[in-house]
Amino acid sequence: MALKKKARSRFIRYLGKQFRDDSTILQLYSRDMAELPSLTKILYKNIPDAVILPRNTEDIQKIYQIANENNVSITPRSGGTAGFGGAITYKKGIVVDCKGIESELYIDPLEQTVTASPSIIFSDLQRQLKQQGFSLCAFPSSYYSATIGGWIAHGGFGVGSSQYGGALDQIVNLEVVLPNGELKIYDKSEDLALFVGSHGTLGILTKISLKIKFDIPLKQWGCTFDSPRELEDGLAELSKINPYSIWFFNPSHISKFNDTFGYSLPYRYVVIISKEISFEEEESEFYTMFNQAIRKAGGQILDKRYITNIWDHRFKTFSMLKEYDDFLVSELILPIKTSNKYLQKLNVKYKNGIHFEGELISDTHYSLLLFLPLDEKISSIKRTFLYLRLFKYTIKGIKFGGYPYSTGMFFAGYYSKIYGKEQYHKYKEFKKQVDSKNISNPGKVISPRLNLFPLISMKAAIKILSRLIP
Amino acid sequence: MSSSQGWQVDLLEVAQKCVYCGYCSLCPTFKELKWENYHPRGILDQIKLYYSERIKDNLKNDVSKSLFDAIFACTMCKACENICIVDLPLLKVWEQVRQESFKRGRWNSKLLSLYNKVKSSHNIYGLPAEERVTWAALSNMVMTRRIQRKAPLAYFIGCQASYSGKMEGVAESVVKILRKSKENFTILGTEEWCCGSPIFLAGGYSVGKSFAKHNLEQFKKLGVKRVVTACAGCYRAFKVVYPRILGEKWDIEVLHITELVNELLAEGKIQLKKKFKEKVTFKDPCELVRHCGLIEAPRDVIKQIPGIRYEELPSNREDALCCGGGGLLKLNDDNLVSQVNSRLITDIQYSEADIVLNGCPTCLDTIRSNLRKQNLNVEAIDISEFIKRAMELK
Ligand SMILES: Cc1cc2nc3c(=O)[nH]c(=O)nc-3n(C[C@H](O)[C@H](O)[C@H](O)COP(=O)(O)OP(=O)(O)OC[C@H]3O[C@@H](n4cnc5c(N)ncnc54)[C@H](O)[C@@H]3O)c2cc1C
Ligand code: SF4
Ligand code: SF4
Repeated sequence: MALKKKARSRFIRYLGKQFRDDSTILQLYSRDMAELPSLTKILYKNIPDAVILPRNTEDIQKIYQIANENNVSITPRSGGTAGFGGAITYKKGIVVDCKGIESELYIDPLEQTVTASPSIIFSDLQRQLKQQGFSLCAFPSSYYSATIGGWIAHGGFGVGSSQYGGALDQIVNLEVVLPNGELKIYDKSEDLALFVGSHGTLGILTKISLKIKFDIPLKQWGCTFDSPRELEDGLAELSKINPYSIWFFNPSHISKFNDTFGYSLPYRYVVIISKEISFEEEESEFYTMFNQAIRKAGGQILDKRYITNIWDHRFKTFSMLKEYDDFLVSELILPIKTSNKYLQKLNVKYKNGIHFEGELISDTHYSLLLFLPLDEKISSIKRTFLYLRLFKYTIKGIKFGGYPYSTGMFFAGYYSKIYGKEQYHKYKEFKKQVDSKNISNPGKVISPRLNLFPLISMKAAIKILSRLIP
Repeated sequence: MSSSQGWQVDLLEVAQKCVYCGYCSLCPTFKELKWENYHPRGILDQIKLYYSERIKDNLKNDVSKSLFDAIFACTMCKACENICIVDLPLLKVWEQVRQESFKRGRWNSKLLSLYNKVKSSHNIYGLPAEERVTWAALSNMVMTRRIQRKAPLAYFIGCQASYSGKMEGVAESVVKILRKSKENFTILGTEEWCCGSPIFLAGGYSVGKSFAKHNLEQFKKLGVKRVVTACAGCYRAFKVVYPRILGEKWDIEVLHITELVNELLAEGKIQLKKKFKEKVTFKDPCELVRHCGLIEAPRDVIKQIPGIRYEELPSNREDALCCGGGGLLKLNDDNLVSQVNSRLITDIQYSEADIVLNGCPTCLDTIRSNLRKQNLNVEAIDISEFIKRAMELK
């Protein structure tokens, strides 16, 4: 339903040119990184009624005020690089593009924190930190495009998470405009947890303080494993030696990696370890530990020559996609302990045709990005079919102790699987308090009812459909 | 106005290859404007809509308006293409969309006026050809014996250094360097036509081709084997565009003044003697660094100046910030130029340099005007002028 005249004119009166509803802009804001098959669009209304580019916190407060008065949904968006549909409207309404929120960058060298606008892109922030000898602790591999606000709201992990944790562990405090228009600052861990992975359903982040560290050079080592079983043992051993990052690929991904970046890595499960090294003794000490860990797990150490400059490609693995006409992606989190069975199943089901890339996110878990490359353009029906199948195998991870990476729209309904029942309860309580009309990013986190069949939830519908796929 | 065959891309195919990673959000103008229709990936999405067969008429009109607006808010800095994770030929796409916009009669009046001026008078100012060498008289130099004489090396001065008071000193400096080195060189004088850069940037390849042909004919007539220029735009035209449109006929070696100076220094034909108190930095022009890969030559020259205090800008080499003035943006949105430029000025301030060197008249002009606006005590000069000073030439 288009925006009512009264609401539209109130927004325009307050925001002027920062409000747009020309048809092109609406189309451009109807997607995020994952361009879903057009057939799935019967489930949601992804073309918004309008887009607003607020300039500051006051604008956002006013937007929520007008939205509440007129029952208009608000969907925040920043880099638009997440692929879970979190930044897409579920039932139209207004997309609030947070890139306009500016705030001065402040680095506190004593407390080792940085305060910045939520819309700052990681690479821009890191550049400024490096100028002062500091660095972010952990950040996503969408380093050149993701914003810190989007990463926190989507509940991300990334490079460095094995040592420094995920988005939640980076935050010192958050300034948020709640859906009821209140401006609040949170710094207690249990409060901060509400805003991580809740996709802007509890308000819009307007200022963020993050922990930082000294900029210590990273060194890389590589090793290989022959099977998912060995990989599992290897990851368990490697997680004990506390590296900065553990990044790994399956053999199908390696073959493309080699073609794209000119390496000759063996067609096995390849793991790249990165470690902060301040002085020589530390390096040899770490190498000894690394060596022992690999021996114990039955892996093989890769000659350094195989991995020269490999870290330069850390943020560029999507480059491999240029070889294909199309691709589908999905992502989940798995416990190291039971993951080999899941990987084996995946290999069998996809006849080794699926690519994956993992990153350790804690001592016990890793994130697994699944790529399904397609050598030809396919019909929308086939694409939908393949998407549902990929979805089905992502959800299958739950059987093995895993869970979807994030909820967004496509995995709405899995919040308690990701964060636990107790956290889900807290989330629901808080949501009731601050957004009784459910105007802030509806259709996300909690699974919505289908527009066409209100008795069925989106979660159930997708699950049933995906089960029908062999 | 059709584009030259052979290097045209299928716009829709390229747009469909975009994986929407968003890495091109480093785009300097998108950083200011922030709306998705100015994002390079958003431009690609608009191309998809524009060429979609299923699109309704009213949306098509709206898309074309938005697309042609966005395409001229681009400085052609090539930062997007350089970072693109799947190596899309974005600059070719932008040029072709500009052509499409011309075909649909959607150029703005300033752009059309520039285009017509260049077409009829062969320079960007619409001034008479006779005034091409007025700079020499103003600098008290006699160039008559150099004009149109047979020589292996030609100095291609470019419209801005030839006609514009703002670029005063560039042509004089290059000529003084060449004279000191005793190189046998010529200039084309009234027969020098604009290199065609603004026409190419606007997407006008068939008209641009006649400029390329003319300049090549002149070089051939004089037996020129190498051409040197101090203008990043001319350098790019000769290095990237002429080979594309003239093919093998274009067999002239192209040198930036800093490349030639490095040669002359190595051969001992010139010396850099002067000691500078000032700290200097170098702003890589987009057209040199990202379009042509010219990175080290200016640095090699600067480092040969005895005791020079040189500081890189925080974003340098391939990552250099755009000055905002390229891609004819000035004709479309002067404010935007200034906004983009202010990020560069912050970088310059961070370097604490007293002199910022450059190799592009457009950069120089935009940097100077923003330094003035902000009342900053930093001198911005062309690198050829700095070389002249370092050689202690009067
Ligand atoms: C090449 C590539 C690599 C990637 N690697 C990683 C990785 O290593 N780790 C990882 O976690 N993800 C990764 N991603 C996914 C994605 O980039 C990240 O999740 C990213 O952090 C999202 O940030 P964004 O600014 O693009 O947010 P968006 O996509 O715009 O939004 C994400 C969610 O946050 C909400 N939101 C946005 N801004 C705000 C705000 N200010 N306040 C409240 N809510 C808001 C949106 O509604 C949406 O639900 C990758 C993506 C790509 C393309
Ligand atoms: S060439 Fe530069 S200004 Fe143009 S779209 Fe690319 S990054 Fe933006
Ligand atoms: S960098 Fe390339 S692939 Fe990525 S969004 Fe931009 S144009 Fe698309």
